[in-house]
Amino acid sequence: MPAVPSRKRVPSYGFLSSIKGNLEALTIGLKYFLNPNRSTLHYPREYIKLRPGYRGYIVLNKAKCIMCESCARICPASAMKMVRFQAPDPKRPGKMKLYKYPVINYQRCIFCGLCVDVCPTEALRHVPAHDVVYMNLAEMELDLEAFQQEPKSPAEEEGGIPVRYIFDSEKGLVKVRASEGGGGQ
Amino acid sequence: MSGAITWLGEWLFWPPFFQLVIAPGLVAALVIVIFILWFERKAAARVQMRVGPYNVSPRLGGALQLIADLVRYSFQEFIMPFTVDRAAFVAAPLLLLLASMLPMAVIPVSPVLPYSYAWPNIMKYNLLLALALATLSPIFTVVAGWASNNKFSLIGAARESFMVTAYELIFVLALLSTAAPVHSYDLVKIVEAQSTWKLMALLNPPAFLAAFIATLLSTSGFPFEIPESEHEVVAGPFTEYSGLMYGVEMGAAYIKRYAMSVLMALAFFSGWKPLDPQPGAGVWSGYVAPLVVVLVKATIIMAVMSFLRAVYGRYRLDQALHLAWKILLPLALLGYAIGLVYGYLGVL
Repeated sequence: MPAVPSRKRVPSYGFLSSIKGNLEALTIGLKYFLNPNRSTLHYPREYIKLRPGYRGYIVLNKAKCIMCESCARICPASAMKMVRFQAPDPKRPGKMKLYKYPVINYQRCIFCGLCVDVCPTEALRHVPAHDVVYMNLAEMELDLEAFQQEPKSPAEEEGGIPVRYIFDSEKGLVKVRASEGGGGQ
Repeated sequence: MSGAITWLGEWLFWPPFFQLVIAPGLVAALVIVIFILWFERKAAARVQMRVGPYNVSPRLGGALQLIADLVRYSFQEFIMPFTVDRAAFVAAPLLLLLASMLPMAVIPVSPVLPYSYAWPNIMKYNLLLALALATLSPIFTVVAGWASNNKFSLIGAARESFMVTAYELIFVLALLSTAAPVHSYDLVKIVEAQSTWKLMALLNPPAFLAAFIATLLSTSGFPFEIPESEHEVVAGPFTEYSGLMYGVEMGAAYIKRYAMSVLMALAFFSGWKPLDPQPGAGVWSGYVAPLVVVLVKATIIMAVMSFLRAVYGRYRLDQALHLAWKILLPLALLGYAIGLVYGYLGVL
């Protein structure tokens, strides 16, 4: 038996109900016009205050790193690589030792956070910042020094106002200053 | 030298020139249209939880953005495609602007003129003339679409010609229903018959509603932005235009809306009515103050029309024609009947 496509009827409205619908639409529009709830983020003057657990940029603490390579192995985007170099061994004077440390390529990084999760000594951590600017693609491949420095949000450095978006039971999504509560944490 | 200044002043304040070019004509129209465009963007932004124009001048709420846009349009290249009908392509937007502006020449903004000239008040049929001149402009939209030799332009022009059949009769009927109660086609008499609160819009709401929606239909305001609907036909009849010519065409619709709003402010909202200039009044109290009152009323009408942009989506062509022929035309006829009854009973 061939399938019979069901026909949907286009709803037709009567004269009075369409007048009512128009009036309702105008009332809602007027309500928002008189009492607007603007949620635009004026970005350089305001920025979203990110929570501490935010999976933003990644920073290496070189002193904690045990060179286990777990981060480079688990990285699904091959963004994390180990750099190798010979340096004098502090425990055995006069001898050289092979050091390996992770570096990151933000052209490839997808901010999945697996490297931070897998790190056995918490040498890698997230920073609550995501609006870092690089002048060219080559800058996005960090070297060991740059990977240890905490990136700063330019809006935060230029004295922007930290804000947060919270849900209000009446108005919906509302923008408030992060200092004024901001919905916990 | 002083003779030249006097001559210049006489030309500047010669009523036909002053009415058409300065106020309520082109200069006042440009100022009000720029304000209305800004208001339209800000009102839509408020309703849609945005901010609208802001960064150009934060203290003025981004009002200078429109000036910036105007400057940008004026310095953009005017591209003339190979396939267009050159003369008609260039002439259409300019004639459209002129035809949108023409009703201003006959609309009186004061019962008395502080000049020795008796123009345009001598016209006893200025409502009829204004209506006739207001119905001229759509042909140039169609000409622009035809001259562009482009599929989108042709579709837009065809839509515009469909819309003309829908709104013209309604607007004329609705405005004429204000002439019936006072037994005159003179806008001065129509205004004088009303008082500050005894408005024709309150006495005859069907006619006012029909005229209001017909104005939206004729100037492609929301929800009837059908000829230039951006999502379907790129910019309708104005697809091939660029630079200043595009600005002129977009502005022409607003200037037509402004002319119709002035007409409605006079016919339905008692024009200059809180003021009552007597014969022999000076330039300020006899001409400028009534003019300002009329322009403020027209601006409020335009602002309400602009606010609708934020609320409505766009109707399809068939929905707009359905609304016009099946609902608005009976409404306009009802308004005309009410006007006739008022005229017969002598209410006003």
